[in-house]
Amino acid sequence: MSQAPAVEVTGLTKVFEKGRRTIWQRLRREPDKRETFVAVKGIDLRVERGEIFGVLGPNGAGKTTTLRMLATLLEPTSGEARILGLDVKTHPREIRANLGAMLSGERSLYWKLTARENLEYFAALYHVPPRETKGRIDAALVAVKLADRADDYVERYSTGMRQRLALARALLPDPPLVILDEPTVGLDPQAARDLRDRVRELKRQGRTVLLTTHYMEEADQLCDRIAIIDHGEIVALDTPAALKRRIRAEEVVSLEIGMTGEAVAGTPGPDWAPMLARLARAAVIARSERRNGTLAVTAHCASARDFVPAAFDAARSEGATIQHVEVVPVSLEDVFISLTGRALRE
Amino acid sequence: MNAAYLAGDLRALRAAGRKELRTIRRYPTSFVGMIFWPVMLPAVWVLMGQAYSGGGDPQALQAFADRAGTTGITVFVFVGYAMYMWLSSLLWGPGTALRQEQIRGSLEAVFLTPASRLVPLFGPPLTNVIWVFMNLLVTGIGVWLLFGIVLPLEGALYALGITLVGVPAMYAMGSLFGAGVLRFGEIGPAVQFVRGSLALLCGITFPIVMLPAWAQAAAAVMPPTYIVDGMRSALLKGATFADLAPVAGTLLVLAIAFGVLAVVVFRWLEAGARRSGMLGRY
Amino acid sequence: MDEIRAALALARKDIRNVSRYRFVVASQIFTPLYQGVLPALLFGAAFAVGGRVVGLEKTIGTADLAGFIFLGGAMSGLVATAFWAMAMSFRNEMEAGTLEPTWLTPTSRETLVIGRALGGLFWFLLGQIVIFAIGILFFGLRFRPELFYATPAMLLAVLAMVGIAYLLAALVLVIKEANFFIDTTNFLFATASGVAFPVTLLPGVLQPVAFALPTTYAMDILRQQALGTRPLFDPALEYVALAVGTVVVYPLGLWAYRRADRRIRVRGSLNQY
Repeated sequence: MSQAPAVEVTGLTKVFEKGRRTIWQRLRREPDKRETFVAVKGIDLRVERGEIFGVLGPNGAGKTTTLRMLATLLEPTSGEARILGLDVKTHPREIRANLGAMLSGERSLYWKLTARENLEYFAALYHVPPRETKGRIDAALVAVKLADRADDYVERYSTGMRQRLALARALLPDPPLVILDEPTVGLDPQAARDLRDRVRELKRQGRTVLLTTHYMEEADQLCDRIAIIDHGEIVALDTPAALKRRIRAEEVVSLEIGMTGEAVAGTPGPDWAPMLARLARAAVIARSERRNGTLAVTAHCASARDFVPAAFDAARSEGATIQHVEVVPVSLEDVFISLTGRALRE
Repeated sequence: MNAAYLAGDLRALRAAGRKELRTIRRYPTSFVGMIFWPVMLPAVWVLMGQAYSGGGDPQALQAFADRAGTTGITVFVFVGYAMYMWLSSLLWGPGTALRQEQIRGSLEAVFLTPASRLVPLFGPPLTNVIWVFMNLLVTGIGVWLLFGIVLPLEGALYALGITLVGVPAMYAMGSLFGAGVLRFGEIGPAVQFVRGSLALLCGITFPIVMLPAWAQAAAAVMPPTYIVDGMRSALLKGATFADLAPVAGTLLVLAIAFGVLAVVVFRWLEAGARRSGMLGRY
Repeated sequence: MDEIRAALALARKDIRNVSRYRFVVASQIFTPLYQGVLPALLFGAAFAVGGRVVGLEKTIGTADLAGFIFLGGAMSGLVATAFWAMAMSFRNEMEAGTLEPTWLTPTSRETLVIGRALGGLFWFLLGQIVIFAIGILFFGLRFRPELFYATPAMLLAVLAMVGIAYLLAALVLVIKEANFFIDTTNFLFATASGVAFPVTLLPGVLQPVAFALPTTYAMDILRQQALGTRPLFDPALEYVALAVGTVVVYPLGLWAYRRADRRIRVRGSLNQY
């Protein structure tokens, strides 16, 4: 196969219709009046060989739909997608022969079979040559550190082990490209860390990895490049460092501000607008939220050392007090907030 | 048991029944199934009867009458299948409710409440009673629409009466099954096995005299045997109150016997589970 | 070759998977016996005069009640295998989450049905061997040697049922209440094929339905050869009807299955939108 990029997507769109048309409506050729939902809106992206590429976004952003189109499970409504140089519409089987995919993790295994039996079955479905089957299964089990439990029933595995077995299955076709949909969801921190180590190992082996996640720390730690997706569109695409630099801040300051004096029952509460205006002179206000008579503010600034004293001054002159201050380095969550106005976890 | 706990348990029983009804309403095909199966299954057997009797050969019919006490094959079969549907709904529904709760993981949550442990055991069968009478109605209409047979009013009323008297016994039997199945793995095969065995034992689709002596003896302690026999006598042989009173009496005795057995088995399981933690685990 | 290996691996997986649920295996083998065969035998025997079911002899030309019922049970089992093991298993796996990873492989979707057919037929044959052994040992079941002449008819019936399984798989992947649908159509299909009684006893308006099913002819040919029953039609004509039915239903089923597959790839799976 020529060295085309691992994944190349142009104007990829997926539109779903809600509900079904009855046979009667079809026979009468009535116009299709169903509501449509655009899950993926004309995205473009390119994943180079050998990189770990992350697609980061909240639930419902279109990550899984995108991945399923690339895995040839879902037909795009329009646009083009090429995997390893092959068109997903015209060469789906060749693509599947060279693609390792882990989409639904532990639910996709047979619990009454052992790990080895699960892999033997899928090796045949992946058309692994019989003489190579045992070797590939052993290698896959070693790669995910399940070799010593290969002959146990999957029903006795922990969730983390089942996820790893699902990853082992994805490695059976010895694929140059591996796609993982939320690989660490539902795992405890140790198991998640283990899985991420396996993913890094895949890159060391020269494979390309395309993964989706809604954990920004995971994307930050693992990925060479990240596409941030929201409401079916890519809102940013770059390396984690470059994305963080975008918001032109080095530090993020979280403040909790309260009004001095007793709150009067029945009154509408303090007017925070002047306070926010003063803070905005010293930093970029990424987010503000009124909660039970206090104001929670997230500000992006070049230096917390300059901003925090200015914030205290502002509070004093407005008759407020700063009840809580937290200074953290810029994260992808902040990038997401600055791009979309919402948190990843909402 | 003081009055406050009793009142609480009665309310809990009602809530358990209501929960089952809500669950049933979520599956609309269960209503279609309620019309389809009680009519189609026996209809097939009626046609089988036509095949085996050579379309009404007098000798064949007489042979059947000698064994079953009637040549009314259609009603004979439909009554048998009404019982089959009752057994099915009883075993699948309340019979497996406890086990399903255990599998889902909600049994432990129920046991953490102060309600009597017998509430989850006896609560679900309450909704089954409604199904039984709907089933009988569908059966009566099916026999009329498909085979043009109008059931005699007096006979139908006696049949209904026998059914009512038989409810506690069936209910208790269902609860015994529910307690027993808690201990064992697969629900589907357990229901199939018990339903199939009872269908064979209780003369649901054939005269009970066709069974070997030992099987007839076992049938003699099963509530379905008496209910089916009572209903057939009422609808096909013009049985009166005097004829049916012994049947009713036997059913009430069986109700007490099975009920006591269900409570004993359940308490024994529960005691064991408190030691081993088994009821909360699957 | 790859596709054949994949089909065999699928069959092996199904066989292994089922074999680990011991009660399910026992139930699959014995349920047809105590739920179908035994009650039918006892019912039919209730019409016996001097030990002979003279009524049955009048209807089909033989008083061999056991033979009639056991052979009907075998055809019923084949139909059930197509409906449940070959078709409904798709839906069950889809809901369990184990179907999707098979779609991620290069194995063709048609092979997935063939593999299931092989696994299902294994359990079917195993069950029938046990049931027939019980019939021979305890119920005096005996067949004429001409039974083996029915083999081509049974092979055609298996092929026809695979075609039906494709059609059913297409439906169960897209409709909501698949379990109820499969349950009722399985029953109606088997009944219309004459497993329980000769199709001539069906109401007139339903008989054309029976005569449109390839399994009706396979059932009749099987009983003719094994028991010497009176055939519905000229046996040669029945073979032609069976072959034509198979040739029609197989590609039709395949077409429907491919359409359903495409529909899922366009719309997403059942639970998505």
